[in-house]
Amino acid sequence: MTDVLSLDGLSIAFGGLRAVDDVSFAVRERAVTTVIGPNGAGKTTLFNLISGALKPQAGRVTLSGRDVTGLSSAAMHRAGLARSFQITNLFSEMTVRENLRLAAQVLEPVSHALRPLRRRGRAADKVEALIDRFSLDAKVHEPAGALSHGEQRRLEIAMCLASEPQILMLDEPTQGMSHADTADTGQLIRDLAREVTILLIEHDIGLVMELSDHVVVMHQGRKLAEGGPAAIRADPQVQAAYFGQG
Amino acid sequence: MRDRLEISMQANHGLFAALVTAGLIFGAVASATGDVFYLRLATEALILGGLALSVDILLGFTGLLSLGQALYFGIGAYVSALVLRAAPDFWLAIGAATGAALVAGIVGGLIANRVRGVYFALITFGMAQIVARVVYNTRELGASDGLIGVPVLEIPLGPVSFSADDPLGFFLLTFVIIGLLYGAVAYLLSTPFGRVIVALKANESRVPYLGYSAWAARMAAYVVAALVAGIAGALYPMLRGFVSPELMFFASSGNALIMVVVGGVGTLVGALYGAVVLTVLKSVIGSLTEHHLIVVGGIFIAAILFMPKGLMGLVRPAMMRWLLARAEARAPRSGAVRRTTQ
Repeated sequence: MTDVLSLDGLSIAFGGLRAVDDVSFAVRERAVTTVIGPNGAGKTTLFNLISGALKPQAGRVTLSGRDVTGLSSAAMHRAGLARSFQITNLFSEMTVRENLRLAAQVLEPVSHALRPLRRRGRAADKVEALIDRFSLDAKVHEPAGALSHGEQRRLEIAMCLASEPQILMLDEPTQGMSHADTADTGQLIRDLAREVTILLIEHDIGLVMELSDHVVVMHQGRKLAEGGPAAIRADPQVQAAYFGQG
Repeated sequence: MRDRLEISMQANHGLFAALVTAGLIFGAVASATGDVFYLRLATEALILGGLALSVDILLGFTGLLSLGQALYFGIGAYVSALVLRAAPDFWLAIGAATGAALVAGIVGGLIANRVRGVYFALITFGMAQIVARVVYNTRELGASDGLIGVPVLEIPLGPVSFSADDPLGFFLLTFVIIGLLYGAVAYLLSTPFGRVIVALKANESRVPYLGYSAWAARMAAYVVAALVAGIAGALYPMLRGFVSPELMFFASSGNALIMVVVGGVGTLVGALYGAVVLTVLKSVIGSLTEHHLIVVGGIFIAAILFMPKGLMGLVRPAMMRWLLARAEARAPRSGAVRRTTQ
């Protein structure tokens, strides 16, 4: 298995705070890699560095063998990296289908940008397939803002998939979900892992251990440890820094 | 099975058709009764409607409040007047004004799009004031008097030709041009490109994660709006025979904004209705009292308080419900069919 994404010495400081400090790891193809760590460990900042929302002050990001360090968020998205957000981030006045259509239209050639929206074709087909897969049929004409929290989180993942990314970055996809919804989302991520590489931030340790092929532990901006779930659970350093607190 | 954005645009088209019908009836009645005053007033309203349309592209779709959109209207008007004084040719004047608005829109966009929100509003305001003041103080551009003596234009349209002095002819020509601007903008907003523009207003911070540069999309919308204002402005000296720096002053930009709000933000056609209503009201009230601005101000406040969605808000929701029901009735089981085929 090859590495889809690799990070090499990624760092950024805000004032004196080293939010992400010399973090390196690789994300293998078609695997679930999860970043864990206590609040303030720098997980979301790391996601922002990878997805182009922030420019790293040092280090390198490589996506499928290509150096993509410092690319804009839009360019990263086009390079095949889609991300979701910790706080739901949709076009809430637009309907579910419009949200998905917007997310899928990047699949169509640029030459279609000034033609009428097509009812057939790659983007339109993708939208219908996602509506089906994510069981959003009954809600397609609802504004995204009117959906339940769980539905909004599902729509968010669906929108990320709409661009057919190589790697899907999910920032706490189960945040604020009920127990049942969390279990469903876990199942969904497991299914998705068969077709797309997943990089996850997750707090539900049970879920992390069950889902992940590889776990990266962050603490105070640095990488504390990485390895398989079992090895991470057994690591005394990790236990002291993370599990010990819980 | 239609998108809300599509249904919404269809409702706008219905209201535009109503406006065209009303315009044709008005034109027929006015020319039958030999009226000149109201035909020319209606023509002016439509030209100002073009400026209001430009404001609505930014405010209603892109989510940008421009307080200086009259800048591009004024540039179009001045360039058109200069061309017409040198060489009275309709298409040359329109072409030159379009080119000037394009260049000015790019330059203005590069400046204004560095900031967002209230700062954007202030910068657009400032840019218009600066250019207006420069024009006001430039003797070659007629300074405070403006450019007068724009010759009456002979407009060749294929086999026929008519004079801009012909009230009905020029009214109809203006209607066609403003209609084409409306149609072009409505079309543009219905394309994938347009969806990105609409996405800017809905949630700009999410747009980069769809694979589009928010800055580039904002720039494009800004330049399109400048073009619309510039082309509308090019018609102004043909109607009035002069241009003056007041065209670029804040009062012009502010009036256009009021037209959009009274008509209905984010509907395109509302800008045109708002322009007609406000222009006619100003003229009628202005003939009764000198203090017509007080009345207009009162109307503006009342419109915001009692018709937050403007004049269009009175009929559009019902139209959209009807269009939606019709779309559903036409394709009752498209969803079911799609599901079984997968």
